[in-house]
Formats: sequence, structure tokens, C-alpha cells
Amino acid sequence: MKKFINDPKHLVTELLEGLVLAFPNKVRLAGSRIVLRAIPKTSGKVRLVTLGGSGHEPGLSGFVGEGILDASVAGEIFAAPGPARCLEAIRAASGGGAGVLFVVLNHAGDVLSANIAMEAAAREDINVKMVLTQDGISSDPNLKDRRGLVGFLPVYKVAGAAAEQGFSLDACCKIAERMERNTRTLAVAVRPATHPTTGKAMFELGDDEMEIGMGQHGEAGTGRMKLKTADETAEIMLKMLLANLGVSSGEELLVIINGGGATTLMELWILFRSVALLLDAKNIKVVRSAVGEFITTQEQAGFQMMIARMDSELIRLWDAPADAPYFVVR
Amino acid sequence: MTDAIGKTELAQMFVKAAEEIRREHQYLSELDSVAGDGDHGTTMLRVVERLEATATANTPENLRVRLREVGWSVMGVDGGASSALLGTFFAGMADAEIGDSSMNCTDVAKAFEAGLRAVSRQTKAQPGDKTLIDALRPAVSALSAAAARGKTIRQALKDAALAARAGADSTKDLVARYGRAKFLGEKTRGSPDAGATSVALLFDGFCAGFASEGKS
Repeated sequence: MKKFINDPKHLVTELLEGLVLAFPNKVRLAGSRIVLRAIPKTSGKVRLVTLGGSGHEPGLSGFVGEGILDASVAGEIFAAPGPARCLEAIRAASGGGAGVLFVVLNHAGDVLSANIAMEAAAREDINVKMVLTQDGISSDPNLKDRRGLVGFLPVYKVAGAAAEQGFSLDACCKIAERMERNTRTLAVAVRPATHPTTGKAMFELGDDEMEIGMGQHGEAGTGRMKLKTADETAEIMLKMLLANLGVSSGEELLVIINGGGATTLMELWILFRSVALLLDAKNIKVVRSAVGEFITTQEQAGFQMMIARMDSELIRLWDAPADAPYFVVR
Repeated sequence: MTDAIGKTELAQMFVKAAEEIRREHQYLSELDSVAGDGDHGTTMLRVVERLEATATANTPENLRVRLREVGWSVMGVDGGASSALLGTFFAGMADAEIGDSSMNCTDVAKAFEAGLRAVSRQTKAQPGDKTLIDALRPAVSALSAAAARGKTIRQALKDAALAARAGADSTKDLVARYGRAKFLGEKTRGSPDAGATSVALLFDGFCAGFASEGKS
């Protein structure tokens, strides 16, 4: 394993300290590995809290900031934070007085911690609602349990903007759920990540192979095949996404191409071009787009293709100002 | 002497449970490396550190408050499903209507049943899925059955420990159907589940801890 790290025991603490040292005007570290906005949102506005394992930078703490998240609870490498810290973050955010929207990516450990924290918060009469993001379709149509992939980003963004604009908790929750329902993501991997603590490869894949439908940590998909060109890969994946979301001609989409960690921006741009041309040919309009690394898995090579059906309100909220370390809209 | 668990006995049970885990933590990590990151032993060391520290602390006096604190302290460990569910189990025990300062055998059964109910609300895993439920559920059932037959706490805990051990051993022939390990399928057959093995060790410790207080 060739990684610039120190004692693996301190990986998470050190990466979080690095984040807040690099963006001191935007984020700060509080309590036990909870990343907060440097300047809290004014009271009387809904606050957004999320949780997730580390090793996926800039996800998820890189999106804490004005107009997006208020707090992120960081877990160990590829592991959810425990329920106690989730409850601690929810309690702290409830001090804002307008309620808490808890955005949770659908992964077993995260959901477990979140549900336990939600049950305890309810006992304390804290005004909190949970939204589960489960955008990740698989190449296996029989798989019911969709995972939370990069689709968290539009959910954070539109719900965060709504909260900043003073929407009620119910309204923020409805916006988040509408965004979530209209988002689909498909991942493809070509080379595994190395676990930064154990030094072991996360999965095995032949030199000439790719796997469509893989989860964030290399959970098996069923779409293992010979490596294809960008155009061919984009066409296969887009077809599955459009069918799954039921997109018809004339509709408007947000498209995100998210790099897995070791796939170059060159490749991501080439892939985005493929998607844009294919959609244009189908008379589907790309109204908004983002290309880059929003959630990674170390040096895993591959990418996530995300499409989301937009309406005028969702577009307005996506365009609203935001100032997080890794997401800025002016 | 009355047959009861008070705060001294409870603390001693958690201390002995910690000893059991410490002795076997490397084995637990080896078991976990078959199906997971191989860090289960390390996680359990952190879990029992919290168990011990909270259980032996001077305050609070009330058993339910104490159990809830123990549970939430364990839930403060970032250790994936095992620490979250074990913490839920201990905190959930506090939902039972038990004595403020001591539990008789019926109270102990009620507390363990409440703990299991709390865990069952949070995981859909069933016996046979190769998770800690394979050890926890039979242990709680054995304890309840023993209490119902009027056995002493010592006998009831012994029955529970034996049932937990049998449950943990039974996971050896199972294929993981739950958690991240489910993606590994057949590769998980042949060695027992790390979480279930931890539960068996905890119950061994509860048994030894209560016995060491000189109860019969």
C-alpha cells in the first residue's frame, strides 16, 4: 500500500483536523468527530444533519456549510458512527429551534445508528425527521434494497437551500423526499480501492474487466463484463437509469458524473460528453450538471452516473447560494 | 443471602465479561477477517472498556439508569452493527419494570427480554442469518425459561451462557445473509460468526461474575 498517512489509528481524526484547518472560515470540529458550520445558521431555521463512514472524501463532511449541511457525524473508515454520536449531533442541532432534518444514506450500519438515534430523540421529544437516500440502482433488477450513492448531493443541496430560506421542517422534508424519489445512480468499478487500515484490496476484478452496479465499498453487482469504451459504457448505464426512473422525451434532468477516486477528470469529461450527446438525441434536456469527485472510495477506479428529474422549484433550490468546502454556488 | 443482582453484582458481571472478551479478542478478529474488516476484536475491546468503566462507576444508584448509561456508553463506540446492537441491548434492559436497586430472577429475565425486544426493533436479522442474534435469542429464551421454572439466578445465567455458546457454535455451518458479509455468501461458511461468539463470551462473563459474588 502506498499512501501518505501516519499511524492508521489516527486516520479519521487527522483527516477531519486537516479539513477544518484548510477551511477555518467554513467548518469547525466539535465534540467527538462532528463537523459543524464555522458560523451556525441563525436560530429559527431548520438544521440538516448527516452521518457516514470516513474514507470517502470529500463526502460527507466536505458539504457542511452555508446553504447545505449544518452538521456531519463522521464514522471510522468505511464504518458508520455509533448511535450515541448521532444523537449528540441531533440534540445539538435541535437547539436551532426549528427542527432537524436527518439525511441518511442507505447503508446497513448508517441506517442502524440513525434509527437508534431517532428512537432516542423521539423519547426526548426532539423535533426531527429522517430522510433516507437510496438512489443506487443495481444491474440486478431483483435487488430491492437500493444503496445510497452520490444522490445524497442533490438532496443535501435542495433541502439545505430550503432550510436556509426558512422553509418549515415539514416543507424541507417534502423537498428532500421529492428530490430523492426522482434521483437514480448507477456505479461502475474497474479497479478496487485499498483499505487504508488493513492494506487489503476491497474486491477482485480482472485487468480487462469492469463491474456495473457495484456498491460504494465494492459490494458485488451482477454486471461484470469486459472493459468497454466510454461511449459504450455510458450508453449501457444511461439506458438502465432512464428506464428505472421512467424518463420520457422532453423532460429535464440534473446529471452528475462522480469519480470514484482514481478515475481522471479527463475520463469523467469524456463520459459526461457521451451522456450529454445520448440525452440530446433522445430530446431529454440536461438542465444542470456536475462533474467531479463528490464521494470517493480511496483510489477505487470507476465512476457513478446520476440522473435526477428536476422541476422549477428544485432547479431554483439547486441554484441557491452555498458555501461548503467542496460545494460553492455564488 | 437473597438471590438478587444489585449494582455490585452487575458491575462484577460486566468486569468478568470484559475479561472474557480481552482473552479472546484476537480470535474474534480472526473470525471477522473471514467476513469483514477483521476488526471485530478491536471493536469488542472498546465495547468492554466502556462496559467496565460505566458499570463500575459510583453513580447512579438506580439500576435502570445505570443500564441505560452502560448501553449508551457502548453505543458511543464506532464499531458498526455489533456495538450499536449490544449497546441497544443494555439500554433496552432499562425499559423493563424491575426493582430500583436489585433484580430477582424474574426481573433479570424481564430485563434481558426487554433488551432483546429493543434489539429486534433495530435489526431484521433472524436466527439462522449468522449474526449475534443466533446467540442472543437462545440465551434470553433459556434465561426466561429458567426464571419461569423458579431456578436461581446463578442457574439461569448458566443456562443462558450454555444456550449462547450453542447458538454461536451453530453459526459455523451457516452462510451470512445479513450485514455486509452477505455479499460474500459461501465464503462465510465454515467459521462461526464473530458477533455471536462475542455474545457467548459476554454471557460466560455474566455467569462467572455473578458466581464470583458468592451467590448460590
